[in-house]
Amino acid sequence: MNKSGFTEEKHPVDPLLHTDSIPSGWCSGCGIGMVVNTFVQAVNKMDIDVENIHIVSSGIGCTGNVDQHLSFKSDKITDSNVIAYAAELGAKKQDLKVVLFLNDTDFIASNIDEFIKAGKSGAKIVVIYINNYIYRIFIEHKALPKTPFLKSSSKDKNATPFNIPHLAKVSGADYVARWTQLHIRRLMFSIEDALLTEGFSVIEVVAPCLMYYMNKGNTGEKIDRMGVYKENSIIKHLEPTENLDLRNQNEIIVGRFLWRDAD
Amino acid sequence: MTVDIHIINERCKGCKICVEVCQTNVLDIAKEPNLSGYNPPYVKALEDCNICGLCEMLCPDFAIQVSHIKEENK
Repeated sequence: MNKSGFTEEKHPVDPLLHTDSIPSGWCSGCGIGMVVNTFVQAVNKMDIDVENIHIVSSGIGCTGNVDQHLSFKSDKITDSNVIAYAAELGAKKQDLKVVLFLNDTDFIASNIDEFIKAGKSGAKIVVIYINNYIYRIFIEHKALPKTPFLKSSSKDKNATPFNIPHLAKVSGADYVARWTQLHIRRLMFSIEDALLTEGFSVIEVVAPCLMYYMNKGNTGEKIDRMGVYKENSIIKHLEPTENLDLRNQNEIIVGRFLWRDAD
Repeated sequence: MTVDIHIINERCKGCKICVEVCQTNVLDIAKEPNLSGYNPPYVKALEDCNICGLCEMLCPDFAIQVSHIKEENK
C-alpha cells in the first residue's frame, strides 16, 4: 500500500484485458504491446459499447497473439482467410466494429488480394497493420527485414518494404494514416477516428522488430532503437500517397493522408 | 490537485521505456528485482511530475498508472 491509499494491484483498463496473460509474451519493449495499449486506451476514452467491437487476428507471427490479451470478442483465423472473414463479419451486423491486427507475414505474404477486394467492396473493417519489417513464413524464406535506414541488416535483396497507404487509397479506403510507435497520442486519435469512420480504414504503424536491430551488433537502450525511426520521420498531413514509399527515401513520412468523412 | 503514480511491480518486464521517456526524471530503476527477475521502476521525485501520461501510454504491459485527484473544496 502506497501513500495515497491504493490497495489493489489494478490498472484502470483492467476490465478490457485478460489480466492472467499479462505480462505478455512479447519481448520487453516491443512495439506491439504499445499499440495494444494505445488501442485499449482509445476504446476506454471513447463512449463506445465494448460488445460492438470484434477483434480478428491471424495465426502467424507475434501480432497473432493480440487477441489473447484482450477481453473483447475475438476470433483467430488461418492466415489466408483473415480479411475475407472480417469483411463478412462486418457486413452481417450494422453496428459491429471489426478490428484486425495484422503484421507483414499474414498481410503482405498471403492476404493482399483479399485486401484489395475488401477495399473495392467497401467492407466495414479497421485494419491496424503493424509493420515490423519481417517477411518470413518458413525457414526456407530467407527474406529478413529490409528497413529503410538499416539496409545492411540483410543480405537478401528480394524483400522490400511496401507502400501500403498507396495500395489502400487506390483500393478505395475511407481512412488512411501512418504513424511510428512513438507517435503515441496521434496514433490514439487516429484509432478513435478510424473507429468512428463508416467504412474501410487502414492505419499503418511502423514498429520494427527489436531483435534484428540487436543482431546487427548495435547497443543501447530500447528507446534509442525505436527512437531512430521517430527522429527520421516527418509529419506531412494529406501528402500524396505516391510519395510514401519506404524503399528509397531518407525519411519516413507520417500523418493522416486520407479521411473521406472530413473532406 | 494531487498526483499519484502507481506501479504494479509484478507486471514489469524491465524495458526502461517509462524512465527514458520522462522529461522531468520522475522515475528511476529500483535495485531490487521483482519475482520475474526484472528491475521495475520506482517513483523518485513525485513533485516534478507534470501529468503528461506518456509513461502510462507507452507501457507495453499496463504496469504504470498516473492518476490525479482533484482536491475537494472545504
